[in-house]
Amino acid sequence: MVDQKQLIKTAKEIVSREDVKYIVGYKQGTYGFVTSPAFAYTPEDVESFIYNPLCKKNLAVYPILEEKLPLKRGEEEDKRKIGLVVKGCDSRALVQIIQEKGLVREDLVIIGIPCKGVIDLKKIEKRFPNQTEVVDVEENDNSEYIIKIGDTVHTIPKEELLSEVCKSCEFPNPPLYDFLMGEEVEVREKEVYSGLRGLDETPIEERWAYWEKHFQNCIRCYACREACPLCYCKTCMADMLDPQWIRRSVNLSENTAWNIMRAFHLAGRCISCGECESVCPANIPLMELNKKLEKDVKEMFKYTAGLDTEEKTLFGTFNPDDPNEFIM
Amino acid sequence: MENLVIQTEKLSEWVNEIIKKNKVFAPVKETDFSNFKIVNDYSEIDLSFLLPMVPAKKILFKQTETLFLFTPGSKGEVKSKEISDEKLVIFSIRSCDAKTFSILDPVFLGDYVDPFYKKRRENSILIGLSCNKPNVNCFCTSFGDSPASRDYVDILLTDLDGKYLVEIVTERGKKFIDDYKKFFASASKEDLESKEKVEKLAIEGITRKMKLEGVSEKLGKMFEHPIWYENAMKCIGCGTCTFVCPTCHCFDMQDESTLREGARIRVWDSCMYPEYTHHASGHNPRPARMNRVRNRIYHKFSYYPTNENIVGCTGCGRCIDYCSVNIDIIDIINEVGEAKL
Repeated sequence: MVDQKQLIKTAKEIVSREDVKYIVGYKQGTYGFVTSPAFAYTPEDVESFIYNPLCKKNLAVYPILEEKLPLKRGEEEDKRKIGLVVKGCDSRALVQIIQEKGLVREDLVIIGIPCKGVIDLKKIEKRFPNQTEVVDVEENDNSEYIIKIGDTVHTIPKEELLSEVCKSCEFPNPPLYDFLMGEEVEVREKEVYSGLRGLDETPIEERWAYWEKHFQNCIRCYACREACPLCYCKTCMADMLDPQWIRRSVNLSENTAWNIMRAFHLAGRCISCGECESVCPANIPLMELNKKLEKDVKEMFKYTAGLDTEEKTLFGTFNPDDPNEFIM
Repeated sequence: MENLVIQTEKLSEWVNEIIKKNKVFAPVKETDFSNFKIVNDYSEIDLSFLLPMVPAKKILFKQTETLFLFTPGSKGEVKSKEISDEKLVIFSIRSCDAKTFSILDPVFLGDYVDPFYKKRRENSILIGLSCNKPNVNCFCTSFGDSPASRDYVDILLTDLDGKYLVEIVTERGKKFIDDYKKFFASASKEDLESKEKVEKLAIEGITRKMKLEGVSEKLGKMFEHPIWYENAMKCIGCGTCTFVCPTCHCFDMQDESTLREGARIRVWDSCMYPEYTHHASGHNPRPARMNRVRNRIYHKFSYYPTNENIVGCTGCGRCIDYCSVNIDIIDIINEVGEAKL
C-alpha cells in the first residue's frame, strides 16, 4: 500500500514551491466507491488527498486539458508547473505526450505511485449495489481487497474486482517521476489480455456481429476521447466539418467509423490505462481494439509506447525492414 | 380513475397483445445496462435495471432526426419527410423519465411547434412502472415527486410481488386499457394498501436530497462564484451528462449528402462542447470549461424555472452515475444553497 501520509507530505512540499501552480491528486468522492480528482493550490488543500485501489482515473489528462485563454491586456502567462499523482500507466501517458512534444517535461512535477492494479468501479458497484456511504478500500499482502462498509468488513480476492487491463499490465512502475512513493513493485508474469481472443480467434461474421451490437449503442458523447490523455488534437477529426470525415448522424455506420478511427489514431500511442473503456456509458469494450493494435504494433515494429521520453514516436520513424504486407 | 390488477404471469401475454397493434419501446438488456428499444416480444424486455442508460426522451425527441430530404445541385429539389402516424407505447417508463415530457413540452410545443415531437407525443401511451428499489443517486423526491408517482403517465404499474397494480391515470390510458380488459381484475383495498407500503419503502430508499429552496434566485447572484471554477477544473469536457440527461434538449442541424441525395438532419448537441457556441466569426461566448459547466447548472436551475416555471431536472441521477470525475449535481446545488454571498 502507498503510504498516504508520505503522499500528503510530498504533495504539500511540492505545492508550497513557488514554481508550482497546483497539484492534481485524488480525493474521496461524494458517494459509495467513487473517487474524485482533487486540485490542491495550497498545503491545506492537500489534506484531502487519498490514495487507494479505487483511484483509477488517469490524471495525466489534466495538463492536456489546461486551458490557455487569451490574456487580458497587461496580464502575463502563468508559467508555473503542474504537479501530478501518477500510476505506471498514467506516467507512460506523460512520457508518450512528451515524446510527441505535447507537453514539456520541465512543466511537470510528478509523484509516481508503484501500482498494484486498480479496482474496476463497474465491477465493485455490481458487487455492492446502491452504496451511498463513502467506503474505505485497502489491499492486503494476500492479494485481497479489504472493504469496510459500515460495521461489516468484506475480504474479496483481488482478481474479482481488479480492472481487466491491470491483469495484463507490464509496467506497474512509473517510468517517469520526480518522487516515488515507496518501493517499486515486482512485475509478475502477466496473463494475455482477456479481450484479445475475440479479435484474434472468432470467425469474422461473429466478430462483426459483436462489434455491431456494441457500436449501435454508442451515443457519441466522446467521453472516450475526452478521458484519454493521448487524445489531445487541437481539432479532432470527428469535429471537422470541411472535410467532414465523420457525419454527425448517430447510427451504426457513423458510430463504427468513429470508434475505429479513434482506435487507429491511438495505434503505437495507447498506454493501456483503460480510461476510455471505463468512462464509456455504453460499456463498449474499447480496450479490445486498443490491445489488438498494441499487439500488432509490438509484433510488427517491436515498439512499445510511452517508455522513454527520448525515443522517437512510432509514426515519426521508419525502417527499411518494416513489414509491408498490409499495404496493397 | 380505475384501479386494476394483473397477475405477473399474465403480464407477458398482455404486453404481447399490445405489441400486435403498437410500436412498443421497452428496456432491453445490453452489456450490464439496459436501453429503450423496439420490442417484438415480451421476452426481449429486461426490467432488472432501474433506469435505461439513455432516457426515454430519445423516443419522442430522437438523437438523429431527418427533417427533410433533398437532391443536391442547381436542379435539386426538396422533399418533405413524412411523419409516421404509428401508435407508440413506452412500457416500463419510470416517473423521472415520464416527467421529462412535461419539461420538454414548452420547448417543442411552445412558440414553435415541432411536428415530429408533437405527433409522437400525441400518439404515445406512457405505461409507467413504480420504482421499488431506487438507485443510489435517485432524488426525484427532492422535487416533490415520488418513485411511484402517477403524475406523468397514462397508466402506472406497481410490482406487488405476484401481481401488478394497474392504476389508470388519464382518459387516454382508460381508452387504451379498454381493449385489454380480459387481462385485468379490479384492485382491492388491500392492493392499494400494498402499493402505499411499496411506495413508502421506495421513498425511504432514496437517501440523497437536493435542497432547492431559494436556489433559483441565489444563482442569479452567483455567476462568478468559485464553485464553477472548481468544478470546471475536473470536468474533462465530454458530453455524457447531457446525453444521458432526460431533460437536456439542445440540438444541432446539419446537411448530410452524397452526390445524388441529401438530408437535413437534427442531432443532439451538448453545451459541454466548445463547438456548441462557436460563432462563424471565430468568437466563442463560452470560451472556457467554466462557462460551460456553469451553463448546464444555470439552464436547469435558473433559466428554466424563470422562463417555464419548472425546474429542468427530474432527479434521475444519471449525470452523477455516469460522470467519470464525480461532478455531482446534488452537491453543487446544495453548495449553492449554503454559499454565503
